[in-house]
Amino acid sequence: MTRLIKYEFYKLFCKPSILVVLILFSVMNLFKIDSEFHSYSYLADGNDSRSWNSVYWQLYENYRGEITAEKINHLLSLYQPLAHATADRTASTAKDNPDMMTGNIYSDLNILEKYYVKPMEYFYHYQTYALQVAERAKENAAVYRERGQTVEVRKNSAIYNLYAGRSIKTFAYEEMYNYYLNYDFSGILVLFLCLYGVVGTFVCEKETQMDMLLLTNPNGGKKTAFAKIAAAAFFVGSVAIWFSVVDYIGFAYSFGTTEGGNLPLYAVSNFSTAAVNCNLRQYAILSAVVRAVGVWTMSMVFLLISMFWRNALVPFVADFGAALCLIIAGASQSYLSHTWLKIINPYSLLANRVLFSKTEFIGLAGYPIQSFLAAIVFAITLGLVSIMAMLLLSKRNAHCRNQSYPAI
Amino acid sequence: MSGFMYELKKILLCQRGLLYIALVLLLGTVWLSASDSPADSAMEQYKDEYQWYLEKVKGYCNEESALYLEQEAGRIAEAKENQNALLENYYDGKISESEYKKESSDIEKILEHQNGFEVIYQQYLYICENTENRCFLQTNGWTGLLGKGTLNFILFLGILLLATPAFCSEYSCQMDALLLTSREGRKSALYKLLILIGAVLFLSFGISLMEYGFYRFRYGLPDGDYPIQSIRYFADSSKDISLLQGYVSIGLLRMFGGVFLALLLMFLSVLTKRYAVTLLTGAVSVIVPYVGLSKTSIYCLPLPLPFLLGTDFFAGDIVLRDALKGDEKRVFAEVDTVTLLALLSVSMLLCTLAAAWILRCNSNRWLMKSGRKKRGTLAVMLGLALAVTGCAGREKTGSVVYNSSAVFDCMGYEIIRDAETFDYYLRDASTKETYPLARSPVFGVFSEDEEIRACYVCPPYLYYTTSVMESHVNRVGNYNTNMTKVSVVELNLDTFEEKTIFEQITDSGRSLLGIDYETGDKWQFLDFHYAFFLNDESIFFLGNDGLTQVDRFTGKTLKLDIPVNGNISFDGESIFYKNEREVLTRYSVSEGEIYTYEDIVAYDFCMDEQSIYYVSRTDGGCLYSCGKDGNHKEMISDIPAMAVTCDAGHIYVLARESGEEIVFPKSR
Repeated sequence: MTRLIKYEFYKLFCKPSILVVLILFSVMNLFKIDSEFHSYSYLADGNDSRSWNSVYWQLYENYRGEITAEKINHLLSLYQPLAHATADRTASTAKDNPDMMTGNIYSDLNILEKYYVKPMEYFYHYQTYALQVAERAKENAAVYRERGQTVEVRKNSAIYNLYAGRSIKTFAYEEMYNYYLNYDFSGILVLFLCLYGVVGTFVCEKETQMDMLLLTNPNGGKKTAFAKIAAAAFFVGSVAIWFSVVDYIGFAYSFGTTEGGNLPLYAVSNFSTAAVNCNLRQYAILSAVVRAVGVWTMSMVFLLISMFWRNALVPFVADFGAALCLIIAGASQSYLSHTWLKIINPYSLLANRVLFSKTEFIGLAGYPIQSFLAAIVFAITLGLVSIMAMLLLSKRNAHCRNQSYPAI
Repeated sequence: MSGFMYELKKILLCQRGLLYIALVLLLGTVWLSASDSPADSAMEQYKDEYQWYLEKVKGYCNEESALYLEQEAGRIAEAKENQNALLENYYDGKISESEYKKESSDIEKILEHQNGFEVIYQQYLYICENTENRCFLQTNGWTGLLGKGTLNFILFLGILLLATPAFCSEYSCQMDALLLTSREGRKSALYKLLILIGAVLFLSFGISLMEYGFYRFRYGLPDGDYPIQSIRYFADSSKDISLLQGYVSIGLLRMFGGVFLALLLMFLSVLTKRYAVTLLTGAVSVIVPYVGLSKTSIYCLPLPLPFLLGTDFFAGDIVLRDALKGDEKRVFAEVDTVTLLALLSVSMLLCTLAAAWILRCNSNRWLMKSGRKKRGTLAVMLGLALAVTGCAGREKTGSVVYNSSAVFDCMGYEIIRDAETFDYYLRDASTKETYPLARSPVFGVFSEDEEIRACYVCPPYLYYTTSVMESHVNRVGNYNTNMTKVSVVELNLDTFEEKTIFEQITDSGRSLLGIDYETGDKWQFLDFHYAFFLNDESIFFLGNDGLTQVDRFTGKTLKLDIPVNGNISFDGESIFYKNEREVLTRYSVSEGEIYTYEDIVAYDFCMDEQSIYYVSRTDGGCLYSCGKDGNHKEMISDIPAMAVTCDAGHIYVLARESGEEIVFPKSR
């Protein structure tokens, strides 16, 4: 069977066109990541000594690492005089002030506020906030226990366990990870590539009428179908992981750093109520795996749809249309609290920040389950059901049904 | 039957071309009807009042119309003041009823169209920015028709379905070789090209016509000869064209975009001979630049996408100021006419070359074909590389009387607000224990932009609205930077279970995968609401600018003509309020009927399940009670009062002279 899967993989996916698309999409992805940096980061203003980029990295050495009272006082001694001087907004707007780091007093104030004061304030206070949440959850659990609400008791206990030990002890640059976690473009490319790859899996043999011939082979029929599904699964998984790696490398290269990887996920302010306690580097890996699951599920559904057609036209357009609907529904619902809609939409696993950035639960058989876990379980179930359906619907090798042949 | 007719039959019937065309037109109409909302909802709601003013100032803004609007603004402000004074005088007995009626009818005449005036005054402020090319006109129709700037996905998928099989179907059954040996071979390709170009032109024309018909029927498309800058989407455009010319130009460009895409698909299918590659490349050539590139870059590409979008060829520069650095950032650079013509010429040349290539490949030189397939696929990929650089489950809501000015009877709980943190708490009246109102432990902890806005009690449920503002990628020129959502949460006071029953993003500028788009201002009122109440069918939000009814099933909104400056009561069926003349009025929600209690003129009122309590304005401020139908009046107190509220067992009156609160027990 392994040889059959290997053969199907070479036949279906080791084609020059797929390789070309893969390379092309990877290059386009890298360009897009670079444009994200230049469009959205304030540190993309060159290496001039008065650029924000230079000023930021000069100051960075003073404040990186463990957050201490000295560092905070030092930062405030820089920031507060600027804040006082600009409080009535009548300070000079000159852009060549030699006493200022960036040449302008407002610009100095803004870079300190955006990149140092606010993040450090957030990091410093996070422990207090998290403790507040844990305390509230504990009180809630007691209130719900009195009222006999078991699911709510368990949910609040889980929240307590999640938040009780949270704190951010070190200061580091986290902008790169912020943009990396909010990046969706590669997900679209992955879907396109997987759609292109899998749509021909069954169709290519029907187009050449090889499917009839295959049924006369001892390994034809369901065995071939299984090998095709396994090869497709391996292909889409590899593509998803590949693009996650390209994303990470692209962001690290464009931003020129991987600093901040050891910060906890909740250090990125959009993830303040993150569903998991891990650091940003670990989350990058977790995110890649979850994304691969989402791509696998969508691809298995694409594959199932393509089984019923003799050419790629209708399945491609149908799959493409379905993917567009899922993407549009997923993206437009991502900020709303319809947890079930996020769970049943596999696109949530591709842009998985919608699941991981919030501590959300659904109640199932008396137990609260975090939305990301429920989404993963649902996606795997949907993928497996699609595979079962494909195996059931694929033609059996009628000619060899009652004979035993050695496997390839 | 001629070769042309054979091809026509094959494409339209055998390859289901007609079905796809019909489907696209049908789905396009359904989608447009389902997703449309007016860009300016006030203009739509007060259409008649707005029209009244529009007829007076229609067209360019000249000194006369500006003077008229400024004077009218003064007259309306003055009339409102006079109305209040008149009412005071009348109820204080200083003027007789006939005098009051005479003068108030004059005032009412002035205020008759005031809602429409607010809309036209906003338009006037916009026009004042550049009076030379902006006109007064009904903009909702034209904004819907022209000012969307998003890709029509249904049309795009329709063209994919129509154009791809034209040649691919021949290759998949190796009919191409057979065709090339025939004398009609080359003609067959020509027929295919002509039929598909015709079909795509028809489809694009049909979509444009359908949109025109829809907006004309829904909002009206008057004054097409006014400059395109009259609608906000094209505010800073330097192009000197009218709205109708803009529509025709965008329609023509979209037709060309459709033909361009169809030719690209046919070119790709001839080159690659595979459905999958053709479809992938066609889809990628549109979707990837759409999602991945900035709008300015899109409109410089010789690809079908800019033509399929069309709109922004006529839009002006969009420049935003970066608050942190003080720089100006050009979010969109206007496409000048020379660039447009150059892009159009290059694209036409590409179309011609593609058509020539298709015909050449289908001429009787089939022996030349071997070994071209792989190179073709690679060429396509390289070519591409160069080119592309609510509502939750509903349970029956109980019936309870709501008074916007009274405290809630909350099943033994009090709603209190912390004076320092402004957080809301529930306090058990008997044990004095407090519980945070929002049950989620994380609510409001990490962000100051998460807050509770208003509460409403309908035992056993307590409803509250939350407003949450989230920031994401924080840089100007990206709508995704901020997002505000308002939710209505239902809290069961017995079990403390809660669920969200309604949720909406209030911003009109949205972003989806980096594609910015505008929705109407339908939900903006939620940003300013301070109270709400609901029944099974609707939620009613009270804001500074009025009372808005939201259908819980369909999400349809309706701004009710109810003043919100006094108490508003709701008994589950009807809304009770004081009208402009301070006369108690009842609006039946289900029937839409208004009933005025002509003999009840009140400084203030409140109500419970059985009775209405009111401080009579015609009787020196005495406190009365009456039934919901206005009968069975009884005086409760003759102490002159200003305001009245009530709870389950008592009536609370604010005495006019002493300013003290006097408590009366309820008799029933």
